[in-house]
Amino acid sequence: MTTSRVIVNNFLRFFVLIALQVLVLNNIYLGGFSNPYLYVYFILLIPYEVPGAFLLILAFITGAGVDIFTNTLGLHTSACLAMGYARPHVIRMISSGPDSLIGDSPSLKNQGLKWFLYYSLSLILIHHFVLFFLEAFRFTEFFTTFLRVVMSSVFTLLLVLICEYLFYPKEK
Amino acid sequence: MRNLFVFIRKNYFILLFLVLEALSLGLFFNFNEFQNTAVYDLTSTFTGGINRTFRNISEYLTLRSTNQTLVEELAKLHSQLPKAYYSSDAHSFYRNDTIYQLQYRYISAKVISNTTNRRNNFLMISKGSLQGVRNHMGVIIGNRIVGQVVSVSPHFSWIISMLNKDSKISGKFKKNNQLVNVEWSGGSYRYGSIREIPKHVDMKKGDTIITSGNSDIFPEGVLVGTISEFTVAPDENFNYGTILFSTDFNSLGYVEIVLDLMRKEKEDLKATFKSE
Repeated sequence: MTTSRVIVNNFLRFFVLIALQVLVLNNIYLGGFSNPYLYVYFILLIPYEVPGAFLLILAFITGAGVDIFTNTLGLHTSACLAMGYARPHVIRMISSGPDSLIGDSPSLKNQGLKWFLYYSLSLILIHHFVLFFLEAFRFTEFFTTFLRVVMSSVFTLLLVLICEYLFYPKEK
Repeated sequence: MRNLFVFIRKNYFILLFLVLEALSLGLFFNFNEFQNTAVYDLTSTFTGGINRTFRNISEYLTLRSTNQTLVEELAKLHSQLPKAYYSSDAHSFYRNDTIYQLQYRYISAKVISNTTNRRNNFLMISKGSLQGVRNHMGVIIGNRIVGQVVSVSPHFSWIISMLNKDSKISGKFKKNNQLVNVEWSGGSYRYGSIREIPKHVDMKKGDTIITSGNSDIFPEGVLVGTISEFTVAPDENFNYGTILFSTDFNSLGYVEIVLDLMRKEKEDLKATFKSE
């Protein structure tokens, strides 16, 4: 894929995911407990070559974009930054070397289900952990908040996997 | 100096992360104080427009239940009209303004955005300072509590919902006027918690909790909820319990803002005592 194509794809994905998040997904929750945050999918799919500083700035913009619509200035931004910071470390930890990374950006098709599950679940957990604990900001509700983190992470992960299978199907 | 540059270049990733994280945490904690409305005003013009358009669409989906509430309200109001009363003599009713002086006025407003699934929930409504909405006014829906105004722009107001960790209202038992505090401790939006119930108060499931009128925000007697379960804690000084909110926070279409016409008088009275 050419570079310009990658940029346009990511640009479009950014707007579609944020619109989907603030208009539809923010109104969905199961049992008043779990709430999917699919917009983190954008950060998951940023190409490998993007330098660290730019990755952090992209994470910042993504979080701020959601924050502006939900009037929670700084909340999603902090969570996205933590996720952006952790991303290179997570990739380094779970891959055997730079040569094992195939393609432009992380994908289920190229890396296999196991790699992709480790990768997305750990980053989603980091994001949701920061998000929900910052929002509650008290430890007296530790277990309630923790349950929300786990349930929402599973929900988000499911949606991410569905997107992967829908948009990047395996060639036969 | 050169070493500093080398250090920055070596660790730029974590340094940039720390700077940005500090920036966003700073924003988060400053914005949480509600008084800081500058950023809110800047963004609400833009996002308020988008949210309103989307709300207009989703309003169609709740038309039926909104109608239901409005019809119920209408029926209640009709039953309060003079026509609804039996009058044997037209001259036996008159209104004495020195006894019944108007204290509360209600402004109705449309809900533009509302959440119930976060730990801290807020509402945005379509009336603002131009229509007379001011900070710290109470917000109700058909005599059931909703929240309190925390920030006002000319056309919109920002309401802190009862479903927020910073919402704490003063309620009382309808049957014996015993005061309790009502809060929301997260989880389901249908249930709130009551704390600091004195030991001697005899509670039953289904007891009604209403606002106490102590706080100048809500008038006395606005419905809060009914007790759904309670715990008698033998080793503590107070009992506690759970209430089922009377308000269905997830289906708010229209709300009313309570305007206390005598609030200034009450505040002035308190101020004169303090200054003496």
